[in-house]
Amino acid sequence: MSKIFDKTTDTLAASTNLRLLRQNITSSNIANAETPGYKAQKVDFEEALSRALDHEGLGKMHTSDDEHFLMGQGAIGRVRADVYDNPEINLTNDGNTVDLEKEMATLSENTILYRAALQLINKKLGAMKYAATEGAR
Amino acid sequence: MDFSTGMRVSASGLTAQRQRMNTISSNIANINTTRTPEGGPYRRKDIVFEAIPDARNFGEILTSAPDLKTQRVQVTDVLVDRKAPLLKYEPDHPDANEDGYVAYPNINLMEEMTNMIQATRSYEANVSAMQATKDMAMSALEIGR
Repeated sequence: MSKIFDKTTDTLAASTNLRLLRQNITSSNIANAETPGYKAQKVDFEEALSRALDHEGLGKMHTSDDEHFLMGQGAIGRVRADVYDNPEINLTNDGNTVDLEKEMATLSENTILYRAALQLINKKLGAMKYAATEGAR
Repeated sequence: MDFSTGMRVSASGLTAQRQRMNTISSNIANINTTRTPEGGPYRRKDIVFEAIPDARNFGEILTSAPDLKTQRVQVTDVLVDRKAPLLKYEPDHPDANEDGYVAYPNINLMEEMTNMIQATRSYEANVSAMQATKDMAMSALEIGR
């Protein structure tokens, strides 16, 4: 594990990947908004990501096998999103459970937060660049 | 799982809605058509949407289970309406039967118009989704600038 990038950057990088998954799933829901019998999918990762962050403080656990649960360092990059049928059912005659308004809201929220994460990554890189150049003078 | 997945899924939505729009246009255009190659009046067409797992090849279907939660939409069937045609008494019409009745397609214009609006809105929703995905991809290109 490189130490150039700190915990924040790792978390931001993980969250952009997870947001991309949410974007794709939401696009799929919108495309299938009128497909009979289609079940709307939902992506959850915030909980898992914050849990991975919390454990960082206790990250003294030693893992001897790749299959072991990672605690602390490296756990953030391994956070998996949970994708499941959306239980907030919007019942229609044809068994489709997509709520188009909610999906559009999810979509714009996701885009904004994705861009926010990228902006933070850029700030981090900027600070690093500053330290690497100005500090030398 | 990459940006092209989202774009591909949204594009499938656009294609499906456009096909639906074409069918609706055909229904509206033929609202008074009494003669078709199959014989008889024009029959109303309706399309069937189906969600299919978004995989590029069979290997992906077998291996990457979580990715397959993204599903494309596809028009799998065109249904022909089996409702009885509307009969109008027009003895002078060349397609009138021996009793003087002409069979007209059983198409409800209001129904077609509402479907058309729905198709337009769905198309717009897919365009927005594609735009959002594109924005994300563009801002990802700005990392490190």
